[in-house]
Amino acid sequence: MRRAFLKRVAEMIRDEADTTFFTVDIGMWAIRDVLAEFPERCTNVGVYEDGMFSIAAGMASRGLIPTIFGIQPYLIERTLEQIKMDLAYQKLGVNVVGTGAAVDYSKYGYSHYCAEDCHIIKAIPGCEFIAPGSKKQFIQLFNETYRNGHPTFFRISDHPNIEYDPDVEFGKAVVMQEGSKATVIAVSIMLDDVMEVCKDEDVTVLYYTTLEPFDNETLSKYHNNGKILIVEPEFEGSLSYDVIKTFSGKSVQIEEVAFPREIFRNYGTYDEKMQHYGLTAVKVLEKLKRLVDN
Amino acid sequence: MLQISKKLRKCALYLSHKCRDGNLQSVFSCLDIVWILYDKIMNWSPEKAQDDDRDFFIISKGQATLALYPVLIEKGYFKMDEVASQIGQFDSRYCIQTDLTKFKGGIENNAGSLGHGLPFAAGIAYANKIKKSPSNVYVLCGDGEFCEGTMWEACIFASAKKLDNLCVIIDDNNSVAAMVDMGDMKKKLEAFNFDVFEVDGHNLSKLEDVFKKAMLLSNEKPKAIIAKTLRGFGSKTMAENDIWFHKAPNEEELELLIKEVESL
Repeated sequence: MRRAFLKRVAEMIRDEADTTFFTVDIGMWAIRDVLAEFPERCTNVGVYEDGMFSIAAGMASRGLIPTIFGIQPYLIERTLEQIKMDLAYQKLGVNVVGTGAAVDYSKYGYSHYCAEDCHIIKAIPGCEFIAPGSKKQFIQLFNETYRNGHPTFFRISDHPNIEYDPDVEFGKAVVMQEGSKATVIAVSIMLDDVMEVCKDEDVTVLYYTTLEPFDNETLSKYHNNGKILIVEPEFEGSLSYDVIKTFSGKSVQIEEVAFPREIFRNYGTYDEKMQHYGLTAVKVLEKLKRLVDN
Repeated sequence: MLQISKKLRKCALYLSHKCRDGNLQSVFSCLDIVWILYDKIMNWSPEKAQDDDRDFFIISKGQATLALYPVLIEKGYFKMDEVASQIGQFDSRYCIQTDLTKFKGGIENNAGSLGHGLPFAAGIAYANKIKKSPSNVYVLCGDGEFCEGTMWEACIFASAKKLDNLCVIIDDNNSVAAMVDMGDMKKKLEAFNFDVFEVDGHNLSKLEDVFKKAMLLSNEKPKAIIAKTLRGFGSKTMAENDIWFHKAPNEEELELLIKEVESL
C-alpha cells in the first residue's frame, strides 16, 4: 500500500503542477527521482509535523493541493490543534497519509501505536477518514478524494486483505453478501477474517473503507433488526456512535471485535498482537454466535 | 499621537463596547502597525481583496484580531454601522476572532490559538513562490507567542525555503517578560537567517520606512520586524492596568477612555 501511494505521488508531482508533497523524513528512497527533479513541490521538510500542517494549510488556501506523508501517531495525535484550527475550522483541503496503522510498528512500543486515530479524527467535524484494505483500494480512494477540498486522512496498513479485494467508492459501504440473522460491519483490513467466518453464514456483510463520513444509508437498508457486529482494526467504539445514530429511536444490539481502549505495553510481532487483542477470525465467529443466539 | 491613530483606537473602543468583549491592550499595541501595512505597504485595496496577487495580512496573535476592524472600516472595506450593530451577535460574521469561511476576501485566516498564523503565513509565502506570484505575506505575531514551538518550526521552513516574500512582524510589547527570559530575539532570528529590523511600533513614519526598506531586499532571506510597542498605547488607564488585557468598556469607561485617547 505504501509503495502504491508513493508511486502515485511521483505521478501526481510530475503531471499536476498544483500538487505538492511533503514527507516528514520517511519514504524518500521510493520517490528519490521526483525529490531531485521537483524540489519545490516535493520535499523532505524535516521532522516537524505541527508546523507542517499549518504550512500545508497556508498552501491549500492559495489553491495548491498538499499531501503530507508521515507516521500515523505523529500525524494525528501530535497535530490535533493544527487539524482543528488550520484545516477543519478554515475548511482547507490537505491530504494526510499515515503509515503505521494501529500496531503495525509492533516492536516499537506505545509511541508508535495508533489504534485511536479514527476516533480522534471523527471528533473533529469536517475531516474525512479513510482506511483502505488493499493497495488497489488506496489508489481508488485517493484518486477520488485528493482534490475534494476537505482535510482527508488515509491510514496505510502493512497487512492488507489478500483474499477479498472489492472495488470501493468514497463514502459508500460495499455489500459483500446478504443474510438475515445479523449484519457484520467489516472495516478495512479485517475483511478477510470476516469473510472467512461469514461466507457460509446467513448474515449480511458490509465492508467499510470510509469511516468518516460514515455510510448510514447502506447500514439502514441492511439493518437486520439492529443486530450488528462491528469488526474494526482500531479502538473499540470508534464506529459505535455512527451505528447508534443510524438506528436513532430504535433498539440496537452491538458486539465488537476491536482493540481495547488501553495503553499497549507489550511488544512482539503484529500477529501476536492481533491474537492477544482478539482481532482474529476465531473471535469474529465467537462474537457473531453470541449476537445471533441472543 | 496622529489623528488616524486616535481615530482607529476610538473605533476599537466603541466596537469592544458594543461587543462587550475584547483584548484592548493587545489591540492598542498593534493598531499602528496594522494601519501602516494596509495604508502604505501592502498591495491591497477593497477592490483587490480577492485578487490572486494581492498581499496577505495574517494575524497570528489572535487576541489582537479586533484591530482589523477599525483598519478595514477606515479603508472602506467594512461599514462601521454594520460591524458595530452586529459584532458579537449570534449569527454575526464579526466577532472577537474572525472566521474566514464567512467572508469573501478581507479576512485571510482564523486566529485565536497561538502559534498557527506564522506557519500558515509561511505556507502562503511558499505557495506564492511556487505560483510565481509577486504577492508578499505579512504576519503579525506577539513576542510571547514565540514560546510556541511551531513559531520556530516556521522559522526553519521560511529560512530553508528562502522566503524573502515573508515579513514577520513581532509586536514586542514585552509580554514575554511575565513568562520567561527569551533572551535576544534579534540574535535568535538572525541565527535563523532572517533579515531583522527594529523599530518604534507606534511611529507611523518609521514603520513605513522600515517596511519599505525590508521588503526591497530580494535576497532570499525572510524578514523580521521587531516593533517595540506598549500594551494599551494611547490610553494611560489601559497601559497601567492589566485588567484591560481582557475587558470591555461600559458606557462610563468608554467615555473616559475616549477622552484619554483624544488628549494624547
